[in-house]
Order: sequence, then structure tokens, then C-alpha cells
Amino acid sequence: MTQEQPIIVAKHVSKIFTDPVEFRVLDDINLTVDRGEFVVLVGPSGSGKTTLMYALSTLDTEYEGTITVDGTDIKALNPNQLAQFRNTTIGFVFQFHYLLPDFTVLDNVSLPAIKAGLWSPEEIEERAMKNLTLLGVADQARKRSSRLSGGQQQRVAIARALMNNPKILFGDEPTGNLDTKNTALVLDILQDLKTEFHQTILMVTHDMQFTERADRVVAIRDGRIIQHEQQ
Amino acid sequence: MISRLRNNPLIKIAWVHLVSKKRQTIVAMLGVMFGVTVFIFQAGLLTGLQNYFIEKTVNTTAHIHIYNEVRAERPHVLDNVREYDATWKVVRNQKPRDEERRLRNGYQILRALERDPRVEGVAPYLGLQGIVRFGTAQQAATLAGVDIVREDQLFRVQENLIDGDMLRMQTIPNAIILGAGLADKLGVQVDDNIAIISSKGVVLDMKIVAVSKTGITAQDNTRAYISIRNAQRLLQQSGAYITDINVRLRDVNDAQAIATEYQARYQYRAEDWVAANANIFGVFRIQNITITFVIASILVVSGFGIFNILMTIIYEKMPDIAILKAMGYRNKDISTIFVIESLVIGITGGLLGLLLGFIASMIMSTIPLNIQGFVSVQYLTINFNPVFYLVAFGFALLSTAIAGYFPARKASRFDPVEIIRSR
Repeated sequence: MTQEQPIIVAKHVSKIFTDPVEFRVLDDINLTVDRGEFVVLVGPSGSGKTTLMYALSTLDTEYEGTITVDGTDIKALNPNQLAQFRNTTIGFVFQFHYLLPDFTVLDNVSLPAIKAGLWSPEEIEERAMKNLTLLGVADQARKRSSRLSGGQQQRVAIARALMNNPKILFGDEPTGNLDTKNTALVLDILQDLKTEFHQTILMVTHDMQFTERADRVVAIRDGRIIQHEQQ
Repeated sequence: MISRLRNNPLIKIAWVHLVSKKRQTIVAMLGVMFGVTVFIFQAGLLTGLQNYFIEKTVNTTAHIHIYNEVRAERPHVLDNVREYDATWKVVRNQKPRDEERRLRNGYQILRALERDPRVEGVAPYLGLQGIVRFGTAQQAATLAGVDIVREDQLFRVQENLIDGDMLRMQTIPNAIILGAGLADKLGVQVDDNIAIISSKGVVLDMKIVAVSKTGITAQDNTRAYISIRNAQRLLQQSGAYITDINVRLRDVNDAQAIATEYQARYQYRAEDWVAANANIFGVFRIQNITITFVIASILVVSGFGIFNILMTIIYEKMPDIAILKAMGYRNKDISTIFVIESLVIGITGGLLGLLLGFIASMIMSTIPLNIQGFVSVQYLTINFNPVFYLVAFGFALLSTAIAGYFPARKASRFDPVEIIRSR
């Protein structure tokens, strides 16, 4: 696989909700994301941008058309292969942090790496601490995650998403629940990841600050891509 | 903690879930514990009592009882003459024929049975109803004419004596052994002289040489042992007259087959001990069925307790399940978490139940009760059969596994997208 090959290729992706009424949420979407690219999906509520993100990120496989991530046809994988693929290839940051509240920060961050089973416990702890340091929350490592502030929790969630060196980092409104200061902080971190580590990032957001920093903004309305804005 | 998490995060997640619902977890465990305790206690108590009774019964009834079954019914006298329509038969009060209860060739059969290698012992018997009289006190009694040494070989007569000496039956010609209840009612003791009277009007003066207490109340209240010779005198019969032969087998489980064989060979009714006590075993069976249902329903209820707590946890921890799936944990990993939780509850509750059941049984077996009823017992004989403990624990695990399976499956099938998008 060459570096030039795009990391995500979506061809003729359509999805129809039938409940409560038939509704075409994605309508023949064609999208390509290159390696190292920072792409932002924007659009009004109900435009289908989140649905598209979940399809591209392999969590949702109920659609028509094909999506290829890192050269793999997602629909060809069975649920267990899909879980493993997600584990090693994809990192998630959601609007809410989804940390396990009774676990320490370190334990939370370690969870994806334990599942991957590629490293020894010592190596996992080392990687976890490195990621926590990168996000500036290393001093919180031994605390229960529920004791942290909202901004800290979201940074821990990013550290967790990066644990297995994902090829793509997906975000669903990652700053949607943060104040201005923390939003700026998270934005800086994401940009650093892109510029320093060439991390591929695909975000769904309402936040206009993202659109200024992204490589490309994809606007979606009524299940169709209406605009590609290269910056 | 860290190293254990590294080894298996699923165990820690399960543990954290249970600890966060401490009270419900404990209640669910208590449910299982209670089920197992009741199981062990009830099964031990009931089968202990049944075994005690069976043991007593086996020791007091013959493995095979051979006798001449006299049927009161017989064909209508006119049937022998000609075939009539039923309306023409008008002879009333047709008496039963005066059939002899004796076993013809009784002693020959006895000797033949003795040579059977499967037979441990054979005892002749001549029973009759009579009156035992002491001064003005008198009691109806079942007078058992026996060969006391053979009888002892079959029914452990000596073991049940509470006073006196069985062997004096052999040295004193008119010796009698009374049941304890009978002796009490008459107010007599060993070495007293009493009279026995038969329905033929024969009166014999007897000397009490021993008092016997089997623990089966009905027997102790009515039975007296005398020699066969004296029984024959009471019935005004000759020296070969016996009515029954009792057989003790080497293996009690062969009784039914051998009884069938003897019945065919000697043309007398041969009844095995199970058939003789069929009504009692019927009662036991009903008891066992009832108790099985009671225990099963307790375990079902405790199963619902586990189901309930797991469902609560699952709905509360939906976000955890969603993120675990998003980060690449498989459906099986998710269900493993909840299976672990139900097994922790089941195993802990089960072990506590085993312990408590054992303790309760121990305590129960040391409380003196002095029950005088169907059987008389001083202490409850509790059955500590380890099979009950295994079965109880097995049932506890089974019910928790079933109760845990459905929530676990439900959790593993959650769609993470739906959960995340619904917030």
C-alpha cells in the first residue's frame, strides 16, 4: 500500500431510515480522505453528517454502497474482525468523554491497548503516560476519571483514542460540551496532532473554529455533499 | 490493581459494577444463599428421616416374605353347576372357604431356601392375634411365633432389646419378649409372669425375658415374640405348622427379582420389601416431589433477583458498553462481563448457602426432639450426603447462569451508535 493511496474511500454511499417514516439520510455520497488530512464535516442538524461519520468510522455498517478504510472493504468484515479493525485502526472522541467513572485515568487510557494485546503491561503504562503527558494531564493519571474536570476528561478521552496509534481519529462534536478555553485547548491539541504526527482526523462539528483550522471542510445538507472547501 | 486490570479488564469492570451496586448485589447473593441453604437443609432432613425409616423398615420387614395368600373372594357356588344369567344367582351369605393359612412343606421350603447362595438367612414364622393379660390388665397383641436365633439373624432382635436377654428364649420353654409399648401398657417388666390367650381359647402362662423397642411405634405397641412351638399350641396345631417364611438376601436390591422367582417356584405369594411398603414409598415420593418444587421455586426467585440486578446495571452502564464496543471490544467480551457478574453472585451465594446449610443441619441434628409418632426418634437424623451439596451448588450455578445469560446477551447486542447518538 503506497502513501499516496487515500485512507478513506466512500463510493455511492446511501442510507435510508424507515422509522418512523422513510427518509433518505445519506444520498449517494462520494468522499475521499487522504492520509494526514484534517477534514471537518459541517451541516445543519439532520443533514446526515453524523450518520456519515459513523458509517465512515465502521460503527455503522447498514448502508448501501462501499466504504474502504485503509484498503479494507468494511462490509467484508464479520463483527469480530470489525471490532479488531476498529481497535487497531480507529480512535474515537465523542461529545461526551465516555470514560469509565470508577476507573483511574491510567486504567481508562490503557483499555484499548489491553484489548489489542500487542504490548506488555509495562509498555502499555509507558505509552499511556506518554499520551497523557502529550495532552497535559499526566499528573491526573492515578485519579479516578470521575474526579476530573470536563476539559481534563475530554483530553483523557483523546489520549485514550490515540492509544493504539490509530490511522484515523474520528470526532463527533468533541468540543460540543466544553467551554471556550477548553475548546481552544482541544483545538490546539488536534492541530498539533495533525502537523507534528500527520494524524488523519475527521470531525463532525458545529463549531466554526474548526473550519478555520481544517484542511478541508465538507458541507452536507439533506444527505448530499453540497460543498468541498479546500483551504 | 493495575496489573490485574492489564491481565483482564473485563474482570475489573464486572467487579466495579458489582461494588457500585453493593446492596443489590448482596440481596441477590442472599437469594442464592437462601435457596441453597433450604435445599441442603430440607433434602438432608427429609432424606435423613426417610433413610432412618427405610433402615428401620428393612430391619423389621423381610426382604422377601413368603406366605399363603388366602383370598376371601371365591367364585359363586352356582357357577360350578351351570352358567346362569346373573339375575338367577340368589344364594346369599356365601362364606369364605376355610382355607388353611399354613405353608405345606414349610420346613422343606425353608431348607431349600437356605441353600440358595443369594440368601443370607431364612426364618420361619407363625403369627396369630391374641390377648396378653397381667392381672386385670389386658392388651390385644400380635403374637409372633419365631425361631429366635434365625429371627435375630434377619431382624436384629438383640440390637433392639432395651432390657433382658434374647437367648433365654432358648432355655425357658414359655419365654416371651414384649414390645416396649405393650410392656408399658401392661405395667410389666422382665421376669414378670403373664398369660396369653388365643382365639382358640388356649391359655399359656409366660415369663417375660426381654423388652424390645424398634422405634416403629405400631410394632412396639402390639408385638410379642414367642417360640413357634408355643404359637402352634395356641392354635392347636402340630409341629410342622408355619404360616410364613421370611428371607434376608445378601443384596437387598435383588429382592424383587428373587421374589418373583420364588413365587413361581413354590406357588405361594412371595412379596419383596418394596412391594410390602409400597404405600410408604408412595408417601416418600410425594414428599420428594413437593420439596423439589419448593426448592426449584426458591432458586427461580433468586434467579429473578440476579436477572433484575444485571438488567439494572446494564441500563445504567450503557455508555460504558458503547465506548468499549467503539474501542474494539467484541460482543463476546461484553457478555463475558455480565456472565462474570452473575457467576460471582452465584458462586459466592452458593458457597455461603452450602456453609449455612451445613451449619443449620448440624445444629438441627443436635437438638433433642423425642418425637413419638409414625416412628419414634430422639434426634433428627440428617442426611449429610455430599451429593446434595454438589447438586445444590450445581443448581445455584445453573439458575444464575440462566439468569445471567439473557442480560449478557442483551448487553452484547446493544448498538453503540444508538447509545451514543441518543445522548
